[in-house]
Amino acid sequence: MNALDVLLWVVAPYVALTVFVLGHVWRYRYDKFGWTTRSSQMYESRLLRIGSPLFHFGILVVALGHIGGLVIPKSWTEAAGISEEAYHLVAVVLGTIAGVATLGGIAILIYRRRTVGPVFTATTRNDKLMYAVLAVTIVLGLVATVMANIVGGGYDYRTTISPWFRSIFYFQPDPALMAGAPLLFQLHALSALLLFAIWPFTRLVHMLTAPVGYLTRPYVVYRSRDEQRAGTRAPRRGWEPTSR
Amino acid sequence: MAGMDGPVNDALLRLGRHLRAGTVSDDLRTLHQIGGRQADAFYRDRWSHDKVVRSTHGVNCTGSCSWKVYVKDGIITWEAQQTDYPSVGPDRPEYEPRGCPRGAAFSWYTYSPTRVRFPYARGVLVEMYREARARLGDPVAAWAEITGDPDKRRRYQSARGKGGLVRVTWDEATEMIAAAHVHTIKTYGPDRVAGFSPIPAMSMVSHASGARFVSLLGGTMLSFYDWYADLPVASPQMFGDQTDVPESADWWDAAYLMLWGSNVPVTRTPDAHYMTEARYRGQKVVVVAPDYNDATKFADEWMAPHPGTDGALAMAMGHVILREFFVERRVPYFTDYVKRHTDLPFLVRLREHPETGAYVPDKFLTAADLGEESEQAAFKTVLLDAATGEPVVPNGSLGFRYGPEGEGRWNLDLQGVDPALTLDDGEGGSTTAVALPRFDQDGASGGADGVILRDVPVRQVAGHPVTTVFDLMLAQYGVGRENLPGQWPASYDDAQAPYTPAWQERITGVPAAQVVRIAREFARNAEESHGRSMIIMGAGTNHWFHSDTIYRAMLALTTLTGCQGVNGGGWAHYVGQEKCRPVTGWAHMAFGTDWSRPPRQMIGTAFWYLHTDQWRYDTYSADVVASPLASRGAFAGKATADLLSQSARMGWMPSYPTFNRNSLELADEVAASGQEAGPYVAAKAASGELGFACEDPDAPANWPRVLTVWRANLLGSSAKGNEYFLKHLLGAEGAVRAHEAAPEQRPADVTWHEQAPQGKLDLLLSLDFRMTSTTLFSDIVLPAATWYEKHDLSSTDMHPFVHAFSPAIDPPWQTRTDFAAFHAVAKAFSALAKTHLGVRKDVVAVPLLHDTPDEYANPHGVVDDWRAAGTVPVPGRNFPKITVVERDYGAIAEKMAALGPLLDTLGTTTKGLTYQVTAEVERLGRMNGTVRGGVADGRPSLARDVDMCEAILALSGTTNGHLADQGFATLGRRTGTSFDGLADSHKQITFADTQARPVPVTTSPEWSGSETGGRRYSAFTINVEHRKPWHTLTGRQHFFLDHDWIHEAGEALPVYRPPLNMTVLFGEPGIGEGGEQGVDGITVRYLTPHSKWSIHSEYQDNLLMLTLSRGGPNIWMSPADAGRAGIRDNDWVEAVNRNGVVVARAIVSHRMPTGTVYMYHAQERVVDVPKSEISGKRGGIHNSLTRLMIKPTHLIGGYAQLSFAFNYLGPTGNQRDEVTVIRRRSQEVDY
Repeated sequence: MNALDVLLWVVAPYVALTVFVLGHVWRYRYDKFGWTTRSSQMYESRLLRIGSPLFHFGILVVALGHIGGLVIPKSWTEAAGISEEAYHLVAVVLGTIAGVATLGGIAILIYRRRTVGPVFTATTRNDKLMYAVLAVTIVLGLVATVMANIVGGGYDYRTTISPWFRSIFYFQPDPALMAGAPLLFQLHALSALLLFAIWPFTRLVHMLTAPVGYLTRPYVVYRSRDEQRAGTRAPRRGWEPTSR
Repeated sequence: MAGMDGPVNDALLRLGRHLRAGTVSDDLRTLHQIGGRQADAFYRDRWSHDKVVRSTHGVNCTGSCSWKVYVKDGIITWEAQQTDYPSVGPDRPEYEPRGCPRGAAFSWYTYSPTRVRFPYARGVLVEMYREARARLGDPVAAWAEITGDPDKRRRYQSARGKGGLVRVTWDEATEMIAAAHVHTIKTYGPDRVAGFSPIPAMSMVSHASGARFVSLLGGTMLSFYDWYADLPVASPQMFGDQTDVPESADWWDAAYLMLWGSNVPVTRTPDAHYMTEARYRGQKVVVVAPDYNDATKFADEWMAPHPGTDGALAMAMGHVILREFFVERRVPYFTDYVKRHTDLPFLVRLREHPETGAYVPDKFLTAADLGEESEQAAFKTVLLDAATGEPVVPNGSLGFRYGPEGEGRWNLDLQGVDPALTLDDGEGGSTTAVALPRFDQDGASGGADGVILRDVPVRQVAGHPVTTVFDLMLAQYGVGRENLPGQWPASYDDAQAPYTPAWQERITGVPAAQVVRIAREFARNAEESHGRSMIIMGAGTNHWFHSDTIYRAMLALTTLTGCQGVNGGGWAHYVGQEKCRPVTGWAHMAFGTDWSRPPRQMIGTAFWYLHTDQWRYDTYSADVVASPLASRGAFAGKATADLLSQSARMGWMPSYPTFNRNSLELADEVAASGQEAGPYVAAKAASGELGFACEDPDAPANWPRVLTVWRANLLGSSAKGNEYFLKHLLGAEGAVRAHEAAPEQRPADVTWHEQAPQGKLDLLLSLDFRMTSTTLFSDIVLPAATWYEKHDLSSTDMHPFVHAFSPAIDPPWQTRTDFAAFHAVAKAFSALAKTHLGVRKDVVAVPLLHDTPDEYANPHGVVDDWRAAGTVPVPGRNFPKITVVERDYGAIAEKMAALGPLLDTLGTTTKGLTYQVTAEVERLGRMNGTVRGGVADGRPSLARDVDMCEAILALSGTTNGHLADQGFATLGRRTGTSFDGLADSHKQITFADTQARPVPVTTSPEWSGSETGGRRYSAFTINVEHRKPWHTLTGRQHFFLDHDWIHEAGEALPVYRPPLNMTVLFGEPGIGEGGEQGVDGITVRYLTPHSKWSIHSEYQDNLLMLTLSRGGPNIWMSPADAGRAGIRDNDWVEAVNRNGVVVARAIVSHRMPTGTVYMYHAQERVVDVPKSEISGKRGGIHNSLTRLMIKPTHLIGGYAQLSFAFNYLGPTGNQRDEVTVIRRRSQEVDY
């Protein structure tokens, strides 16, 4: 275990997570009205209609798979009677389908973004960076999976990467676990850390505010006035109501 | 998906009950929550503000919309339309709200990157000035040295337009400006100083403050209405009036409305609702436009003549109306109207034409021809009494207007006489053939054409063969009668004979049957509604070289059918005049006539034509406009510049700079000679010792040296021949590709210098709040306050209100109001002038003026050229009037800031009526306070902009009912009729009133219509209803013009003249042909109409408006033309002709007619203009392809209504006849 390992697998994760959390807080406070997907549907909808659901549903499944693989310890699934083979089969099949859907989705979105004039005009440098990091992360993840499981003989990340991931949240980081992982997994993890670090400053913030609440909310909303005062702003000194 | 409702949705909503606080209603539709409104604060803050201030948008828009300007924390945040216009009555739509997206985008400018925040000066000039100033110790000496050294002068002139403006202080800027003015006045004369600022109505004080400074110096104020080609010359010709039109609420009164070359929804956006609403009242709307424009979609019918052929369409409509409503059937309303209110019954002498042997119409028969010896008998026109057959001299003609004998007789009362409209008694009386010119065949300007012989009934009166104007009209329009021989059209279907519907179809492309139907409907409606047929006419028909003939043909329609002077009827010309309702107060403030008279007022077009050297590129002779029947040789072999100098030396049109020497030194000579100035100057001119500057405009002594532009964007907007301006006037880089005239084409009376000067101006000074093409080429730029940062007044012809500009914030950074800036300049000037100039005498030459007895100078409009005759001219008759004015140059600033004493003695004068204003002066003294000490001791103060607002309002009849009443009483003594009750004598509008709410003006003799009793304004209703004559020769509306030069042009009667043929005149390729040598592409007509996204150049650089349009320079073209030139939508193209090059993107649209492209007006070089492949220079602006061409008949003066007044008459700066080659260029553009 050398200094580089500590830097990559201890320092970097904490920096990324800190930036991720504080960045969102900062963004929410500083740029509440810039908290947006900056949708380009107005400029182009034909490709978007295919690419966007493909990507978003794909990435949701991918995200669930990551939670399953990284957060749930192997011992738990084994205790539940799921064999390593069965787990692996399900993970690889589902993961590959979802991964390919995600990759296809983002390919369509990037192609659209580059070739449709008005969409490209509405693309900032920030967007370009975000797309690059996001695409690289997805590609690396997919390649790592494919190389390890389909081409290679299989790699059980649940004994190395997953405990390392959890160790970060226990505040007992164990870089040695990660240092031994295959290079592609390492690169995937690093690009993911970079993605989380830039996340709060990109349009990806919309993930935290996906409007799922609307599913369960009546569409007419009444909010009562605060009974204490006529307006909703606190009265300035000298302008307080004299009675009531 | 199952839509909004369904069991799944319901289940989700029920689930939601458990996920959040609050009560969900039983039907699952609503959620009630307690509190949670903190987020509201954001939206409340967004729209909260500290104050709302009334202001408007100045200068360049007719709207005169009152706006609410919102201010928050000392920052202008946004604006919204005012809604408090006084009601126009219960039976029609209201004026409010007025405003359009352009106005709503204005506040962007306040804090925009284009804002001019500090005084700037050209860096190389500042360096040289500072050095010379330090060395010589005197600003004037420093300026003299720099401008006197050709190298130094060249250095800063050639830097114009190439950046290099540096910040200077106000003190340094005003000192340089003052030094330039002092040096110019001292060395070259005050008339070498010029000022340009248009459209006073839209910010009267800002205009007046600069104009007052220039005028008090003895400098030249340049006209704008004619220069913009917005002046319809037909209006002075026919009505003797600059322009007077109905307010937009009067469109509601029209039962039949034609929009002819006017795109109301785009160019009169806040008023267009009256047009759309009136349709629900049963009004029929007909649009005449070559393209499918925005107005067309509101129209019941669309007529699409080829561009510039509107005159043919109008002539054919006139043909139908004359035949069906005057000959086949006589409509009593029309007959009665034309007998009272037009020149149709008046007698015209016929003259034998030497070449053809036929007769031609010559001059009006006058009382002098009858042997009468009364006062000005040569100006009293004659008609025949239908009852007795005897000639009668009716009241109301010009001969009754000024002298003591005419007192009480200048009116339209026929005193029981029934005028004979025609001499055709239907019983075979004598007739004779008259020769009439036609211009519809081919040739340069539609010249070199045919002659038609048609008989008119004729009678001998006092030894003269005469006929009536009506009979001549029928002959001209080709309306035959049974007993009259001649070349008459066989029927409406005769396509060869002018001016039948079938004939016009050949020219305009509009189906003959449609023209017949529209003409019938138009006249039939006028017959039944007694004159409620209206034509809204605009720049589409008014910006042509021959627009006066187009307009006369169109106005014939409204005049024949008795629509002029009727609410809901007549012409409605809305092109740039933007009526300054308190005209008297403004004019006297602006031209400093309270201190000295007369001011120097110049026809803008001639000034620019000469001093941008466009005259040197006239490769044609002026006789291209001549009639085939021209027999006086007035234009033969002459260049336009020759006619210009002839017009100047005969006192027809003003000419500044006037003489070829300093007018101050000339005054010294006069004083030394001990003679009267007039005879002295006339004798020197006759002997040739004294020349006119316009006869040698390229001699350095005759150049204009100092030009101040404010409230205007000359070089980005109105400068027709932009590249010539840059090259010759400024000495900057221009892309002129034209060749100068060959020796045989050059003027005879104007000196030709082998090398044309480049860089005549020593100083171009501009005041603006944003960077424009003009500021970029200026030597000094002063930062101006915007329209939300000053006090001022606004009015328009579109509505009857006067309302205020008020500062929402103080002028930010180092900006100042125009008022404050000119006062600062005047103070700096006076300080230097006190020692350098002192008190001087100045010889001022002014032309023969309209609405004065000068109109009597040339009886019958006979040219009286003293030089040709070899005689000594008589000032005021065939030579300009010569006046000596004293100028106390050290006291200019004091005079500017006080109301001068001439008002006490001379009063004020507008349109020939003089008002006594001592009571108003006294009141102003008490309101504004009086000055203590100095030349203005005891005079009412004008030290603040608000003071001047009060003075304008107090001195004008429209805003001071007492004066209106007084004016009507004065007028009544002359006419012998009563105008009692027209003016509201108690009305006295103050500036505070205009700040509170838009205030309706009162009826005043300053204008021709009435607002009395809340009536909607329509022009000439006072003339029609109160028998007040028009300000013309006959006192009636004129179909016939009898001036020598008009006859030479063949335009005595309404006539069709096609657009100029640029192939014949300049060798440009013909429309539809390929490009000229070396330039591929297609040749098209090039028009520059007004756009939806801008007001002139304004808003084309405004981010909000750029976002609404395609943005950047563009040219609209038809798919057919684009296809032939291989151009696709949004391609970069170059348009090129001899005048210059423009680079733009193509917009290919089916809306455009084939053969014509539009480059919307005033797209400037400041946004997205790449370099041209052809010139290698930055790709030009819309005016890079245009140039000036002066129509000689616009130079006529000194005769009845054809006499000069500022912005009333003068050559137009037209530009619509131009063609261009348009080609696809490399799509790689370089900036």
